[in-house]
Amino acid sequence: VTVGDVLAPQSASPRPLQRLEDLGDLLDVGLLTVDRDLVVRSWNRWMETATRRPADDAVGRPIRELFPELTLAAENALRGATEGVAAVLSHRLHRCFFHAPAAVASDTLATMQQSTRIVPLAGDSGAADGALVIIEDVTDRVHREEELRDAVNTAEAANKAKADFLAAMSHELRTPLGAISGYADLLRDEMFGPVVPAQREPLERITIVSKHLLGIVEEILVYARVEAGRELVHLKETDSATLLRDAVLGIRPLALKKNLQLDLALPDATIPMTTDVRKVGQALYNLLGNAIKFTESGGVTASVRAAETEEGAPAVEFVVTDTGCGIPPEHLDRVFEPFEQGETGHARKHEGTGLGLAVSRQLARLLGGEITASSVVGKGSTFTLILPQRSTVAPAEGHSPG
Amino acid sequence: MMATARYGPAEIDALAELFNVGLHRAAAALSDITSQRIVVEMPRIWIYEIGEVEQRLNQLLEGELATISQAFGGAVAGDAVLLIEEDKAAELAKRMTAGEAAINGRLDESAREVLAEIGNIVLGACLSGFGDMLQLPVSIAIPKMSVQTLGSLMRSLDDSGDDTQYGVIAATRFGLSELKVDGYLIVAVGATSLNRMMQSLIHRT
Repeated sequence: VTVGDVLAPQSASPRPLQRLEDLGDLLDVGLLTVDRDLVVRSWNRWMETATRRPADDAVGRPIRELFPELTLAAENALRGATEGVAAVLSHRLHRCFFHAPAAVASDTLATMQQSTRIVPLAGDSGAADGALVIIEDVTDRVHREEELRDAVNTAEAANKAKADFLAAMSHELRTPLGAISGYADLLRDEMFGPVVPAQREPLERITIVSKHLLGIVEEILVYARVEAGRELVHLKETDSATLLRDAVLGIRPLALKKNLQLDLALPDATIPMTTDVRKVGQALYNLLGNAIKFTESGGVTASVRAAETEEGAPAVEFVVTDTGCGIPPEHLDRVFEPFEQGETGHARKHEGTGLGLAVSRQLARLLGGEITASSVVGKGSTFTLILPQRSTVAPAEGHSPG
Repeated sequence: MMATARYGPAEIDALAELFNVGLHRAAAALSDITSQRIVVEMPRIWIYEIGEVEQRLNQLLEGELATISQAFGGAVAGDAVLLIEEDKAAELAKRMTAGEAAINGRLDESAREVLAEIGNIVLGACLSGFGDMLQLPVSIAIPKMSVQTLGSLMRSLDDSGDDTQYGVIAATRFGLSELKVDGYLIVAVGATSLNRMMQSLIHRT
């Protein structure tokens, strides 16, 4: 707001200012002064318009008579100002200094929202013996903030609805998928009679594809549960090296299939930790699987070491480095977004939901940790999972649904 | 040099009590305005030369800070500041307005104004306590709300005048339902004002 803006509304008058006091009539804020007894001594044009009371009628009256709705806090602030203590009355805590209709009607704001400042006024002795009240109409601003709040609430509700939908749908899909996979296994094991050689391969395919689909549904389910704040944490004492070793052993067949080197670097001393073993295992498995997926030659190295959180607390750092295609810097943050796989065109060469890294970061954060990535295009990427050595997340009671 | 050593435990305790009375008065006023129960903890007090205040507070605060500053004059003169970490300040403003300010966790204009009022009430209550003790009025200017680093704040408080500047730090905690917010008050005064305050305290105890 410039001086020009403030003076603009009523500065069209060709008359020069007669007295300095008349300046108040040019300002787009309410100005009134009171003496030590809280009797009004001046009342500018803005006040006349907002209250529909001329200055002649207001001056000389006690403020309480003019504004019976004046709160005790506002009256105390006025008295404080007459003793030298300035005050702010924020509209969010006080709504308004006095009641007036809003200039622009809205569904939620029928009355003018006011921001008020009360400044001590010095008397002849130099000591405070009165107060200047400055009232600003902030209805527009409050209206904009309310629109923003509504938009945020709507977005949050939509996000929750999406998570609920994903969770419900995944449950619905998981049950029949489990049945398909189970019946294929039973057929292949000849529980329903002999299987001819020509049927073996199709049965094998049904099993593989349904298990793959089940894995994707599980991933969506975990993502949806964490998003909805329904994922429970089960803490237990464990050893970080064992966690990493188990994940590497589990993923090794994938590396062998692509003829990739998979190295494991463990510290000499054990680094015990209190965490959710299943969730850390899943995050590590996802990081390793992702590294293998995007690496065509060379290999993947997994390591673990003692570290510190940003706050200086003991932590455990798992690092997965690959010699893959790398991620351009502008896509590095996006890889943690759900359903993203770096560059979209590039991504769809690789199977998966694009949820692996998003779920891993969610799980890390759930345990009070974080996953970060660095990468050089053409040389490879490094993903670092850092977790507090002792998670402080309250252990869950009972079992997580689903 | 840490100035706390110049004063004995009894004087520091008396100063803590003076702040405590002001903080409780402020908590009561805020509880009335917000219709919520707001509590404060007994403050811890340190006194440092102004150049050393930053080093001490750096151990207690990090990141951007919401600061509410008010100049004061009269029986004692200086600057008083309330400091709260920015995210905590946003949460405090949000809770005090039942979610109407600091939408999305940001210090929007409404939140800044709410914090200015909170600061005004807290600082005003504590500074008025000094005035009451000295039996002389203390005048307090309109509060100024900013988001800044500790370094930037301290540069603005470091008055390069002849009188050695001191910072009286009062560390407290505001409680609002389950929310606990650490708040730090700095009263930056010259040696003359500090001596006057401490002498009055000594005579009172």
